Amino acid sequence: MGAVATGQTPQAAARAPRLRRALGGAVVPLLAAAGLAAFWLFPNDLGLMTRIAATALYVLSLDLVLGFGGIATLGQAAMFGSGAYAAGIAAVHLVNDPLVLLAVGGLAGGLVALVTGALILHARGLTLLMLTIAVVQIVQEVVNKARDLTGGSDGLSGIEPSPLFGLFRFDMFGRTSYLFALAVLLVGFLVARRIVRSPFGLACRGVKEDPLRVAALGGSPRRYLVTLYAVAGVFAGVAGALTAVTSGIVGLDSVSFSWSAEALVMLVLGGAGRLVGAVIGTVAFMTIHHVMAAIDPFHWMLFIGLFLMGTVLFLPGGIASLADRFIKGNRT
Amino acid sequence: MSGTFRKALLGTAFLCALNAGSAWADTIKVGVIAPFSGPFATVGQTFKQAIEVYQAQHGKTVAGNTVEFVYKDLDQANPAQSKALAQELVVKEKVGYLAGFFFTPDALAVAPLIDEANIPCVIFNAATSAITEKSPRYVRTSFTLWQNTVPLAEHVAKQGIRKVATAVSDYGPGIDGETAFKQTFEKSGGKVVDSIRMPLKSTDFAPFMQRIKDSGAEAIYAFLPAGPTTLGFARAFSDTGLKAAGIKFFGPGDITQEPDLPVLGDAAVGITTTFNYSQAHDSDLNRRFLAKHRELFGASDIVTFTSVGAYDGAHVIYRMVEATGGKSDGAKAVEAVKGMAWESPRGPVRIDPESRHVTQTIYLRVTERKDGRLQNTEVAGFPDQPDYGFKAGK
Repeated sequence: MGAVATGQTPQAAARAPRLRRALGGAVVPLLAAAGLAAFWLFPNDLGLMTRIAATALYVLSLDLVLGFGGIATLGQAAMFGSGAYAAGIAAVHLVNDPLVLLAVGGLAGGLVALVTGALILHARGLTLLMLTIAVVQIVQEVVNKARDLTGGSDGLSGIEPSPLFGLFRFDMFGRTSYLFALAVLLVGFLVARRIVRSPFGLACRGVKEDPLRVAALGGSPRRYLVTLYAVAGVFAGVAGALTAVTSGIVGLDSVSFSWSAEALVMLVLGGAGRLVGAVIGTVAFMTIHHVMAAIDPFHWMLFIGLFLMGTVLFLPGGIASLADRFIKGNRT
Repeated sequence: MSGTFRKALLGTAFLCALNAGSAWADTIKVGVIAPFSGPFATVGQTFKQAIEVYQAQHGKTVAGNTVEFVYKDLDQANPAQSKALAQELVVKEKVGYLAGFFFTPDALAVAPLIDEANIPCVIFNAATSAITEKSPRYVRTSFTLWQNTVPLAEHVAKQGIRKVATAVSDYGPGIDGETAFKQTFEKSGGKVVDSIRMPLKSTDFAPFMQRIKDSGAEAIYAFLPAGPTTLGFARAFSDTGLKAAGIKFFGPGDITQEPDLPVLGDAAVGITTTFNYSQAHDSDLNRRFLAKHRELFGASDIVTFTSVGAYDGAHVIYRMVEATGGKSDGAKAVEAVKGMAWESPRGPVRIDPESRHVTQTIYLRVTERKDGRLQNTEVAGFPDQPDYGFKAGK
């Protein structure tokens, strides 16, 4: 490393991006390996880990919207909850194949995002933020009022998915649930990465950086953002459906403002603007929450707060930016 | 490769199953899921303190088995999280019993789990009638809105009051209360002139007070979940002049629960409620319960209906442990407490064999100031009230 510091310039300069690319390529296998390792290491925590995997997908959807589109939102739970309720209602009345339920959830989340996105994405900044909160509250109120369909505040229970591929039952130990959720998360991650790296994804980043310039180049910033919002809605909807399938119940909390805010905290913690940040943030937040709440069910919030402050102060780019520091540290 | 993988997987699965099935040592764990942080933290605190009082009075061992309570925090209604916590308690902590639950959806979430694991679940609070219908392993030691409301509606009718407005929070228990009141009151010849459903989170009650005034009601029936909302409502009732206008205030006792009384102040005086427990209940057992509480925690100010729900819940769990000799058998444990009757700090209670819900005396109470302190004085009792809402539909 000393040799690098003294400056054999061309190779050294090329090394950092190459290293980063190599790391980037290894992300999915690493995630998969970590997920499977966790399956063996913590066979008694599968309930929590299933929730983490489903939540990571949800935070990933927020990352698409916020990290890549620059849309400030506190309404992502509207899509998550719509997906969860759509899948839940479908499971109670129509079908119970888990994969079909995920599709139903994704469709519902995408539709809600498309419709509300088309309505509210005229606004920007704080106004938009307020509109997204309004959307989540309207959806929650609708769900609460439609008691016959959704169970209202009692929650929608009685969701009994059939065995996965007709073989693997969703039992109380949660093995099927976890592996299923992990697989869905990994597929979601790959798809999200494909989207982010596509010309469309790059255009969205362009809109985030400078919407005027995109408009000057002949693109329509609003159309890009609405599309991105709808696509992210599909992700959130699938995450909601995944939660409904693996937990067997959907509650009003899944369409709440606080659930939106929690996603934002997890994303900021992990690092917005990079997909792996969403996953890392979710794992970090939920694990710490869980461990702290187990040690001290009464004062765990204090520790979470301290941890958050520490991260924001010392790692402004989120936990995922640690890798950058490592690479940069090597270079200089 | 995939064959090895599958074998390893099956092996792990088998080991897990083996562990979960057989590891019944002489310590029996009871998992308690309740809010211990956040806005409803007091509820969890009352659960825990009541359990500690019970264990201090009755010892920690039953039939040679030590009973240990494990607490899990669920700060708000979040059924998916409730299920995950319960799963962890069952699979990892190997609890033999589940207990607690302040909110209905959290209690409903564990129904499939307790059925599969054959574990009894004792509900300390969640008060929607439908819960015990969802699994034969639920036992409830709290109350339901139906149970409290039916005798109240009959009482109001007997007072010669003919026109009542109902005002309830717009969620499951609120609607239970509204339906129960309306059905009973109109059967007794009264008329509900306005039914107001208020958003669960509202804090400004002035507009509702105006509606009540306009409806020409002689009295109101109100239900809101205990906590900040009930405070705001009882205050608004007094501040907007409805109290001064002579409109009577009736409701289930959540609205004047003991921890809120000092904050409510004189706004609470004169409110008539029906409930299963008052700190002022006149019995030796209750006095001993409160004395032990003061001894352990320095004060008994927060002792309320959730305390007594947990205290009796602990009692039911002890009897279950006794009946099954420390083995884990949910169906047998529940069978053993069906019809069980005992004396509680709230008075005589018994578990109804059909609904597995507690049959109890519901007291008519008036909030008044006594020796400088506000209390809910029990002025009459309606003995042996069942859960009228069991299988009554919505």
